[in-house]
Amino acid sequence: MASVAHVLTGPLRAFGRVGESVARHAGDMALLAWRSMVATFRGQVAFRDFINQAFAMGVQSLPLVLVTAILSGIVTSQQGGYQFTGSIPLYILGSVVTNGVVLELGPVMTAIVFIGRVGARITAELGTMQVSEQIDAIYSLGRDPVRMLAAPRILAGMLAMPALVGLANGVGAMAGMVAARSTIGLGYESFLYGARLYWHSYDLFYSLMKAEVFGFIIPLISVHMGLLTRGGAEGVGRATTASVVFMIIAILVADAMFPPLFLN
Amino acid sequence: MIEYRDIYKAFDAPVLTGVSLTVPEGETLAIVGPSGTGKSVLLKTTIGLIVPDRGDVVIDGESVFCGRTGALQEIRQKAGYVFQNAALFDSFNVYENVALGIQEHEARRLGQREVARRVWHALEDVNLDPLAVLPKLPAELSGGMRKRVGLARAIVGRPQILLYDEPVTGLDPVNAASVERLIETIADKTRVTSIIVTHDIEGALSICDRIGLLEGGKLRFIGTPQEFRRSTEPLVRAFADRQAAALTAMRSERGAHRRRRTELTSTGRPS
Repeated sequence: MASVAHVLTGPLRAFGRVGESVARHAGDMALLAWRSMVATFRGQVAFRDFINQAFAMGVQSLPLVLVTAILSGIVTSQQGGYQFTGSIPLYILGSVVTNGVVLELGPVMTAIVFIGRVGARITAELGTMQVSEQIDAIYSLGRDPVRMLAAPRILAGMLAMPALVGLANGVGAMAGMVAARSTIGLGYESFLYGARLYWHSYDLFYSLMKAEVFGFIIPLISVHMGLLTRGGAEGVGRATTASVVFMIIAILVADAMFPPLFLN
Repeated sequence: MIEYRDIYKAFDAPVLTGVSLTVPEGETLAIVGPSGTGKSVLLKTTIGLIVPDRGDVVIDGESVFCGRTGALQEIRQKAGYVFQNAALFDSFNVYENVALGIQEHEARRLGQREVARRVWHALEDVNLDPLAVLPKLPAELSGGMRKRVGLARAIVGRPQILLYDEPVTGLDPVNAASVERLIETIADKTRVTSIIVTHDIEGALSICDRIGLLEGGKLRFIGTPQEFRRSTEPLVRAFADRQAAALTAMRSERGAHRRRRTELTSTGRPS
């Protein structure tokens, strides 16, 4: 009887454990975000650290972000061209590519690159600092790791991500335009005509708003996971993998929440 | 004065089970014991790096865990902590690492020139050539040098308390003896209260005022080095004998290795 009850309540207990873990992570991250914000508004974040992080996140991520944006634009254009040929006026492709890149592919693909290039690095870096007692050393010196490590990274992410997405949007749309001309022979004027026909300036704001949110979420999760790391090199590996998974899920969930919240 | 009051801490299993201890001002106390008995955990509770499940640490009448807001920060500011692997910041050079030991408000008050002077003197105090090491990154230093830089970082802020976590582990005998002499010199010169957690029982006995044996989560012995040597407590004797046997085995292994190497060099082939 007891074992039957045990089997029946198993999924419930597992759900409870997951719920508890999610709530704990969410609480810790909310606290981390709050303390980073307080440190920022009190002017306690070292400007040099912020600039270094912004450079590492923004400038050094630029080549990979641009390559991803170009390929996204080309693929969208080619697939759209394939579907539209013979059924829909081809100039519509200008709107499809531009809106596809600006509303979705620009922010999301850039965020995925950012997770791999920046988020994973932050977790591994802070995780290594944690297991080699460098975080303890910061506390022992009477300093605050949130001010020294978390706040500069979160601020830099919030600065770098919109800049990267803005560039990715422009480059992706242009790559789509060039691809449309070379594959289905759609002229630049027709492409731009289609793009302008359904363009809303709000779309760009929406895209950059997404970028700002992603630029906040990615460093926040990666710093949080880095500071939670335990157990040597293996622990750093585990934390980095978990961090990447959490970041991808968080970005996709946040992305799914944007249309109902901001596009209606 | 540092008082540990009935400290309990468990991770997966109990580590500390009711440790009480008082360290008077200016004393050098060594805590020895087998691996995994919670020596480092006890040391970390001193400045709140680990929060005990029960109990408290009181430093100069100020509680670390139940004190007023800001008390922990003040306690940390008057303590220097030497980590087992130095825990230097990889992306900072030696100057920046050591300068971090001076509190921010203090550094602002002192000015850059005075901070640089103090960093220079701290490095000289730990027998390092400041000119040679200042611009180097931790990765460019040997293990012994890293420990010394960690020690310089701990003393540059002129602390009243120095906490050493395995200061000689991983060092060769010459470097280990040199670091031990440094600890002794710093304690004599500054009359700082020092707590040293170590495996090196002989080294500890030569530099401490009192020695404590932590085993099975409890403090099994506390007394002067002479009392420790004379002690007939079975636990103390067993620990001291184990350490002596391990030291002898290590020395004989080193001797055998050296002999093999000499033979190899003289004959040009393995014997």
